[in-house]
Amino acid sequence: MAGTETLAAKRFAPAGLLRWRRPLGLAAAAGMAALAVTALLLVAPDAVQGPPQRIFYIHVPSAWVGFLALAVVFVASVRYLVTGDPRHDDLASASAGLGVLFTTGVLLTGPLWARPVWGAYWVWDPRLTSFFVLWLVYLSYLALRRQVTDPVRRARYSAVLGVLGFLDVPIVYMSVNWWRGMHPEQVVITADGPRMPAAMLATLLLGLAAFTLFYLYLLAIRLGLARARRLAWATDATAADMEGTR
Amino acid sequence: MTTPVTMPDVTTTPARIPVLDQATIAGPVHPRPGGRVPGGVRAGLRAAGLVAAKDLRLESRTHDAVGTVGLFALLILVTASFALPTGGPDRAGIAAGTLWMAILFASLLGIGRTQALESEEGCLDALLLAPVAREYLFLGKLAASLLFTVAVEMALVPVLLLLMQVPVGSGLALLLAALGLGTLGLVGSGCLFAVIAVRTRMRQALLPALVMPVAVPLMIASVQATGAALTGATVGANMHWLALLVGFDAMVLLVAVLAFPQLVEE
Repeated sequence: MAGTETLAAKRFAPAGLLRWRRPLGLAAAAGMAALAVTALLLVAPDAVQGPPQRIFYIHVPSAWVGFLALAVVFVASVRYLVTGDPRHDDLASASAGLGVLFTTGVLLTGPLWARPVWGAYWVWDPRLTSFFVLWLVYLSYLALRRQVTDPVRRARYSAVLGVLGFLDVPIVYMSVNWWRGMHPEQVVITADGPRMPAAMLATLLLGLAAFTLFYLYLLAIRLGLARARRLAWATDATAADMEGTR
Repeated sequence: MTTPVTMPDVTTTPARIPVLDQATIAGPVHPRPGGRVPGGVRAGLRAAGLVAAKDLRLESRTHDAVGTVGLFALLILVTASFALPTGGPDRAGIAAGTLWMAILFASLLGIGRTQALESEEGCLDALLLAPVAREYLFLGKLAASLLFTVAVEMALVPVLLLLMQVPVGSGLALLLAALGLGTLGLVGSGCLFAVIAVRTRMRQALLPALVMPVAVPLMIASVQATGAALTGATVGANMHWLALLVGFDAMVLLVAVLAFPQLVEE
């Protein structure tokens, strides 16, 4: 049970991202540039909402990537708790920071759209409130990580919060749904297909792809960083052990 | 017998960062809790009872968790009844919100305190030596904290009903159900995160920052059900809130019981 077994034999698929970092970065940059041109210049503005509707093309992709990032935290946290493999903790910590980044983007772009269209920056609508709570949970996840110095404890504690925070999401959504109920209905995934013009849908899909690539690029960088930090700490600890000073 | 060990030379910068082999990159597996502990359920429950009894004896001598924390909770109620527009048409909602704010802060204070006592004199380390599965130690702590919080609530609720002039009448069953289920989830998440918070740099001061975001749905459901109860609503009309509380409680207790052995493992 001690930390003597090595992980050399076990494969860790996300590490493959590190090798693809540069192509991912180039693809993300190209995708973002294409999205900016398409969303701001090429696609026609919404007939009712006017120009503010264009925020949709970054708002929805941010929300998607925010959820994706937090789902990655959840899966990595579960796998860490089951295996004790520190590489899963690297992945969880790398993805949590990005989750906060993109959910912050959602919470900033939403009000900019809501003010001209709804007449208010903020309403206590289920989807808004749920996202807000999600943002708070992952802020506390990051706060917790900063508060624990021992890497093994940090990994365990944050994994528990990562699991609980994600399981909490549907409960939060239900509670807020029953409590207050104004956000536009889903327009993409509905029973009778997407309810929007093809040009808009194509722009949205471009946005989703560009943001996902951007997320993967940032994730690769942060994964490498988390790993380097862990190894630096381990080397320091080993050195201290050898000198008999610890 | 000593094998010479070559440490990486860190005084000169290598021209190229050396390519690390997979074993170095992965590092060692983190230590994990060992296999099943002997003792079985009966011994476990007995240990849980002993842990709870120890906390109760401690409380009977210090009066910290019920006495001092209860006073704090009462002061929140009194301050809120000056600070908020009580007595108006929304009085039931305001009373419910005030009650749950008092319960939230008081229980966090009390749980943080009992968990800090546990680690101050190395008591937890001694408890961990007990030959029972560690989940039962958590159940013992949980039982004691639940008792303390319920004791505080028994003083708090009558004062609230008086101060805020809310009759309870036909909503009594709903009120008790909301208080019971809400308290279970709140104390459960409090006890889970207290184990974590006490080992951080900020100690118990971090506890609210960990519990409050996760407990948002619990607070919404508890406050809504309690507010309905204070206007005389029945259990039947508020089943959805109670079901949500049951779901939250089940999630928190399940994660807590599964995670506790890992959290206290050194």
